[in-house]
Amino acid sequence: MNLLCITINHNNSPIETREALHLSRNEIIEFIPLIKQVLAEGVIISTCNRTEIFGLPFNYLPNSNSIIDSLLKYKPVNDIKPEYFHKYFSCGAVKHLFKVASGIDSLIIGDSQILGQVKEAFEISEDMNFTGPIFHRLFETAIRVGKRTIKETGIGEGAVTVSYAAVQVVEKIFSGLEKKSALVIGAGETGELAAINLKNKGVGKITISNRTLDRAESLAEKIHGEIIPFQFLTEHLHNYDIIISATSSEYFIISYKDIAAAMKKRRGTPQVLMDIAIPRDIDPEVRNIDNVFYHDMDSLKVIVEQNLQKRKSEIPNVEKIIMEEMVGFFSWYNTLEVVPTIKSLRNFFDEIRSDELEKIKNKISEDDFSKIEDMTRRLIGRILHNPTVKLRELAENGNNIQQVTTNSIILKELFNLDSTNNNGKNIEEK
Amino acid sequence: MISTLDIINLLLPFAYFFTFAVYAYDFLKEKKSLSNSKRIFLFVTLILHISYLLIRTVEFDHPPITNKFEIFSILAFAISFSYFILELLTDVRGTGVFILLFALIFQVISSLFIENNYVVPEVLRNRLLGLHVVSALLGYSGITISAVYGLLFLVLYKNLKSSKFGLIFNRLPSLEILEKLSFNSLLIGFVLLTIAIVIGIIWLPTAFPNFSYGDPKLIGTGIVWIIYGAGILSKFLANWYGKKVILFSLAGFLFAVISLILTTTLATTFHSFY
Repeated sequence: MNLLCITINHNNSPIETREALHLSRNEIIEFIPLIKQVLAEGVIISTCNRTEIFGLPFNYLPNSNSIIDSLLKYKPVNDIKPEYFHKYFSCGAVKHLFKVASGIDSLIIGDSQILGQVKEAFEISEDMNFTGPIFHRLFETAIRVGKRTIKETGIGEGAVTVSYAAVQVVEKIFSGLEKKSALVIGAGETGELAAINLKNKGVGKITISNRTLDRAESLAEKIHGEIIPFQFLTEHLHNYDIIISATSSEYFIISYKDIAAAMKKRRGTPQVLMDIAIPRDIDPEVRNIDNVFYHDMDSLKVIVEQNLQKRKSEIPNVEKIIMEEMVGFFSWYNTLEVVPTIKSLRNFFDEIRSDELEKIKNKISEDDFSKIEDMTRRLIGRILHNPTVKLRELAENGNNIQQVTTNSIILKELFNLDSTNNNGKNIEEK
Repeated sequence: MISTLDIINLLLPFAYFFTFAVYAYDFLKEKKSLSNSKRIFLFVTLILHISYLLIRTVEFDHPPITNKFEIFSILAFAISFSYFILELLTDVRGTGVFILLFALIFQVISSLFIENNYVVPEVLRNRLLGLHVVSALLGYSGITISAVYGLLFLVLYKNLKSSKFGLIFNRLPSLEILEKLSFNSLLIGFVLLTIAIVIGIIWLPTAFPNFSYGDPKLIGTGIVWIIYGAGILSKFLANWYGKKVILFSLAGFLFAVISLILTTTLATTFHSFY
């Protein structure tokens, strides 16, 4: 198999290079025609952490450098070093694709986003007629690897970002988040991520508070939430079950007294405070108040680290799935070699049968002809059954590809399958 | 029949231990494959146990409530059966190990010391007594389960307050669920205990000539009932949350255990049949 993979990813190159080489959907659509001269089939996966070209070159010995040159010509990058590009061939390329689809090659192990990106990349190539039967089967298998990985292993379990870890802790305190209300203080990148995570987890009511009202409004609109003016923040604290603070304030914006007063109004109903700001926004002393659950970056990072370790321990299980699917894929691929031989052999016998039937067509009755036609069809079917099955079995086992090739050659030689007009008539004439 | 009974009596502690071990292993390792299959182990144990209790009833011609070791066996069954129903209804699967531990302890003690009584006082064959004992035992299993969930609540509460994210954090359900499970079990336990007490008060004076309201067992049960009642009222009337109500549940359970031990070992009571 002459499958080729050229990759530049987070394992072998700096982020600046990866960013510079990143191809958007439109760029991939523009770039595919440029490599169609070299590759018969291909798929380009490009995310913030990787740009990968998978292809089946026309030549058996592919010149990967010409593809890299095409890429750099299309997307020039300064100071790029050859060692940033890794290349995989045949079995290695298949394995690499499956590792990517399963998420074990991702920067954050078990990242499930990559599976969607692999699917999307394949769909782009499919739309541009850049895929054939091999890539169809290959990517179908890769997507199955990704799905099985999610279903059968714990590789994607547990929070691996601080804002998601905050939500995980919230879920350990409350059940039925749809009845809870949350306040997100700070509408920056971290605040936005936390608000989106809360929204995705189904928190009933989300309110945003930010020093700059515009940003608060913009985020509130995005998550269909409400806003409260920053200056009235402390007056509203008691209304929320969950408070996540992620501002860039240099001093505490919520004091012990504020929370003590809020808890008095809440009559002891629990309140979760997540301080994911650096420096911190909430006085850590609030953790001493009954039914107040206060967590800061340090404590949340512990969860993230634990979950990452847990995900790493699942890698052997994922590799087992990859191996199983590789065996399946190559079993199918190996049969491709024998399919044309089997087809030629069947055609050869069918043509002899047709010729001979033609000779007696006018000499016997229609009824007899029909009986002989059926009989000869069955006869040829039975004669060819064993060789066909044996040849397929040998190919599917994949243990001895050399023997499969030899058998194919012998069959072709014996029945002169490669020559044109190689049917019975030809033999008779000879 | 006796030999069958002896064999099941011998098997039951092993069945409980095996079920407990499967739940414990699943709690520690969280194997997806065990998540459903552990229920089957519990179900089989319960079937074995109910068969044992039925055979025992038929063989000795009285419900197995005539001595404390028979009662321990029923208590083990009631606890694990209540938990089984609770697990099916709530789909909270990570807490079984803590509840089944109690069932295991009760059954081991029962299997070790149980005797075959063909002759029992006539009063123990009374149907009202059967109802009284069954409701009391189910009530006690309810408060036991409530206490276990209460304890788990306190442990998780402490873990969350001190930012400890270990096994307890990973495996237990949320505080809110633990509180709900504890309170609901308490509520069911309380209602059943009330039924047991009411039947007792109506029936006992007629059944026992030496009946006295000053009996230590009655006073002990009364105090337990008041503690639980106060906890339930505080939740409904004062809208108390979590820890405070759970402390009532734990205090009630602790008092119930101490009072049971003291009244059965030290005090003289008409409420003793063996």
